[in-house]
Amino acid sequence: MLKKSMWYTILTIASVGFIVLAIGFYQAIMVTTAVNPQPNPTAEVPQTIPDSTQLPSKNSNLFKVLILGDSVAKGTGDEKGKGFASYLPDYFKNSTSKDIVVENAGIDGLESTGLLEQLQSQNLDKPLADSDFILVSIGGNDVRSILSLNNLAKEDQFKVRQDSYLANLEQSIKAIRKASPNSFVIFIGLYNPYEKVNDVEDIRLLNAWNYDTQQLIEQAGQGIFIPTSDLLKFNLGRYISKDGLHPNSAGYQAISNRISKSVETIIAGASI
Amino acid sequence: MFSLIENEVIKMISKKRLMFVFAILVVLITIFAYGQNQSLAKTKAQLSQRMGVTATDDWRKLADQQIITIKNRLDSPYMDEKSKSSSRVRMEQLQYNLDNNINPLEQSAAKFTTKFMEQAIFLFLPLLIIMLSSDMVSGESSNGTIKLLLVRNVPRWKILLSKYLTLMVLEVIVVFFSFVASAIISGFFFGFGGWFAPVATGFKVLAGQLDSTGVRNVPQWQYSLMVYSLAYFVAFVVGSISFMISVLVKSTAASIGIIMSTLVAGNFISFFLSDWKITRYMFMVNLRLTDYLSGSFQPIEGMNMVFSIYVLLGWAIASIIISFVYFTKQDILV
Repeated sequence: MLKKSMWYTILTIASVGFIVLAIGFYQAIMVTTAVNPQPNPTAEVPQTIPDSTQLPSKNSNLFKVLILGDSVAKGTGDEKGKGFASYLPDYFKNSTSKDIVVENAGIDGLESTGLLEQLQSQNLDKPLADSDFILVSIGGNDVRSILSLNNLAKEDQFKVRQDSYLANLEQSIKAIRKASPNSFVIFIGLYNPYEKVNDVEDIRLLNAWNYDTQQLIEQAGQGIFIPTSDLLKFNLGRYISKDGLHPNSAGYQAISNRISKSVETIIAGASI
Repeated sequence: MFSLIENEVIKMISKKRLMFVFAILVVLITIFAYGQNQSLAKTKAQLSQRMGVTATDDWRKLADQQIITIKNRLDSPYMDEKSKSSSRVRMEQLQYNLDNNINPLEQSAAKFTTKFMEQAIFLFLPLLIIMLSSDMVSGESSNGTIKLLLVRNVPRWKILLSKYLTLMVLEVIVVFFSFVASAIISGFFFGFGGWFAPVATGFKVLAGQLDSTGVRNVPQWQYSLMVYSLAYFVAFVVGSISFMISVLVKSTAASIGIIMSTLVAGNFISFFLSDWKITRYMFMVNLRLTDYLSGSFQPIEGMNMVFSIYVLLGWAIASIIISFVYFTKQDILV
């Protein structure tokens, strides 16, 4: 009798379960194969790059800054949602009488390959040609994934990443120069956002990375490399945002301040 | 026919094998849930030490900030459409967490239950199924009871079919039980909620790259249902194959050995033979179906959900045909 009732229980569970699972299976197939199941209304808005032709071109009374590169360039991590795009004008306006216009083309997670593709796609040619200053931050995402490796593998991987990064950066700077021969390039150096990564080996790699980048910027001319690792080293608590990776509002302001001090005379010269 | 299946099911229950499977599930789920609970506590302690504040009351600020960031990102004209849809999905999740006061660090029974099957689908669940299926026929040969079965006035194919259907019933029971057990057991550790939280799914592979254009959120219960359904499909396929082996091989030990070594080998076969395209037609390589849902798979051109399901289905159907043909034609000499 017990076995009989057990058999009926099992049979009920099995048949109900089978139907439910069949529905789930159907859904699983639909969800992975359907072509764009939810056409997003916003997705259909055509993506127009802001038309820079509407803005008066160079030599007018506008001072233009173009921001290129990764999340740091874009201003990710700023709890006020501002970033360089709104702090730089605050710091620059003491040095120039012109109105400062900032164009933010930073993309989260961009690697040096992405930057090069972005520049080669020629979407940016117009804004590039118009700008007086070009702020670039790139490389953090290239190097980030190797941090978790052991020291031997790290050394090898670092070499590979750095070589491709430097090659991409060189090409990128060439592209910038081609589109915009007279602009001034500001490159933001890498910093170490991790408190725990502090062994000498890691610092050596970071320094090598920054040193080679700086050499490249200097070779290209008309540019400056702004170091950030020294500024942030003992200020991680103050300057790094809650995500533990990007600068926070205070961090962006500190870096912007440093930039403005370094390029004061150049801004003044450009705005005559 | 119906009474034949009933007979087989009662035979399986009285063999206590099903109870073993349940016991293993309960014990392992308890251990996993306890372990998760421990590591969660540890992560929290580390976070609060690093950030200086308790992560429990601080996550809102972080979520607020991430939402602002994503909004900015969506407004940027320089973003491509691909990354936009995943940003949108991420924003929906964060907003849900804020609206429902869910700390993203916390586990929930729903999350755990889904994760458990995602991890179990390619080895653990198949092994449980093998425990049930591998001696269904060979067991009868080993101890000679197959004679008693075959002398009854029932065609052979009916006997085998009743055994096969019994296996399918038991597969449902095992999948169902593992769902219930892990939902209840992990509920004691993490609370019973979380079934309506949004989960991202809908990834595809385009030109060898993971494409997230079609990504959207589904509620956790639906996601979980899909995971368990795929698990059942895997159970059905592995069950069929091991059923075939149990028909072909007389000894239960050999039957278990063959299918188990094949499965275990499958876990590293793609590692050694990654350039050899034929490996993708092996069933062991295609068992991780849930990875297609979560988008956590290695994008390989030509391998997608439909492909894997066809391959698995092909194996299952071939196994069933071979089993029936062999069983009805063979001479039983016991």
